[in-house]
Amino acid sequence: MSSFLQFLLKGIAVGSLYALLALGYTMVYGILQFINFAHSDVFMLGAFFSWRLSVLFKINEPSPVAATGVLLGAMALCSLTGFLLERFAYRPLRRAPRLNVLITAIGVSLFIENAGQLVFGKNVVQFPPLLAEHTFEVGGVRVRSVEVIAVVTAFALMVGLHTLVYRTRMGKAMRAVSIDHNIAGLMGIPVDRIISLTFVIGSALAAAAGLLVGITYGQIKQPADSSWVLYGLKAFVAAVIGGIGNVPGAMLGGLLLGLSEQFVAGYLPSELRDAIAFLLLIIILLVRPNGLLGRRVVEKV
Amino acid sequence: MAALLDVKGVSLSFGGLKAVADFSLSLAEGSLTGLIGPNGAGKTTLFNLLTGVYQPDVGEILLGGQRLNGKRPYQIAAAGAARTFQNIRLFGDLTVLDNVRVACHLRATRGMWAAVLRTAGYRNEEAAIALRAMRLLELFGLAAAAGKQAKSLPYGQQRRLEIARALATEPRLLLLDEPAAGMNPQEKGKLRELIARVRDEFKVTILLIEHDMSLVMQVCERIAVVDHGVKIAEGTPGEIQKDAKVIAAYLGTAESGAAAE
Repeated sequence: MSSFLQFLLKGIAVGSLYALLALGYTMVYGILQFINFAHSDVFMLGAFFSWRLSVLFKINEPSPVAATGVLLGAMALCSLTGFLLERFAYRPLRRAPRLNVLITAIGVSLFIENAGQLVFGKNVVQFPPLLAEHTFEVGGVRVRSVEVIAVVTAFALMVGLHTLVYRTRMGKAMRAVSIDHNIAGLMGIPVDRIISLTFVIGSALAAAAGLLVGITYGQIKQPADSSWVLYGLKAFVAAVIGGIGNVPGAMLGGLLLGLSEQFVAGYLPSELRDAIAFLLLIIILLVRPNGLLGRRVVEKV
Repeated sequence: MAALLDVKGVSLSFGGLKAVADFSLSLAEGSLTGLIGPNGAGKTTLFNLLTGVYQPDVGEILLGGQRLNGKRPYQIAAAGAARTFQNIRLFGDLTVLDNVRVACHLRATRGMWAAVLRTAGYRNEEAAIALRAMRLLELFGLAAAAGKQAKSLPYGQQRRLEIARALATEPRLLLLDEPAAGMNPQEKGKLRELIARVRDEFKVTILLIEHDMSLVMQVCERIAVVDHGVKIAEGTPGEIQKDAKVIAAYLGTAESGAAAE
């Protein structure tokens, strides 16, 4: 029983990171119907920006205030990156075939990875201890304080996003743009600005995920390491499981994927972890081709 | 009365096809004008030019003296032009009320941070917008459906919701693209009353594309006729009905032998 709870907890911790990242994929897909392959690189930059900010401000002692500052700084820098990405790489291709945009995204992804190696080096980086590390024993379950903080932060951000999308007029404008760009424009919605906003928000969430990964694991791999892409790929899978383009779906998909991974790794040979994750995707897509919360798409004629 | 809309010598080609050729039209403030012509004559293309979906190759479009050339659709909406669509294009997944509210936000002044922080000013403005949106829905007999998804409405109500949404942007010029399409005679009668009422209550200038001749003749003060992208006639309904060129465009002429599409 205690190992079950242990896997559950770990699954929620990993899953909430997938969810944060999945939101970026799903929002961009919802609005532009294209997969932003460079999203995992923005996530990677979030981790490296956090590290550099910590070094820059000489944060050697765990401090919640400093950690919050670093989080906000990394989110701001990644938002800027996302904004520039959209403005200069994707916007000029707004009317181009979708495949062109997809290839551009792959190019941008490679560019960021290599530029990242140039700037941040090619070695594993020890992440500064922004938060004090405590381990509790609750009912036979080992709980790491940083994991709890990561989950709480991730959920707070997701609640914030949900409020923004479903409770504010920008959210309404975003949903209107995702339904029909042209009509949204004609009804007075500044479509380009809404698309920029989508990239900015998605990138900010990716930055938070990057920082949380750094804090949780204590180290970050070099910018072009395949683990970043794998993380992104899984988050993308999470978005598809939940129903791509659907905000609550991305959160649900992320958690499901995190949980299934941890339970597989716990009860079955852990080498099967990723295989099971993708098997889950295939099964869900066979049963519900549009994801768990996705709606049936009627082809426009 | 001063002209609200001034279209001066506008042309637009798609490849070799001249969709609109040297088109000029002037609409007086508060007028109700019909735009008719055979299918494929370029009527909807003109609406697309007026709302910034297309940019004219040559010519100039002025709305209340403001040049619309080069403006993005949302800027043109802000300048005061709103439209409906031949094939209904609502935000199907949003509620009826939200369809109207989204369009109301064009005139809202509170920014993003006010929305995120939910300041008192933002909340007041949102409340005012919700009230205004509900009033519009009431006027169009849609209040009872406010919470429904727009795509679940019956056809006639969807058409009315499109007009309500367009009015929510507080336009000075309202462009209606075949609002009576697919309606039965009874619904058309109601629509005719509604159009007249909208013009009087909202003080908008209306340009109406419509194939239903009896509707156009009854409701419009002036009519412009387009064929092959060229304006072939303009005048009162009485003048248009007698115009030889208009009759030829619709029925074909003996010389060309071409039947109207």
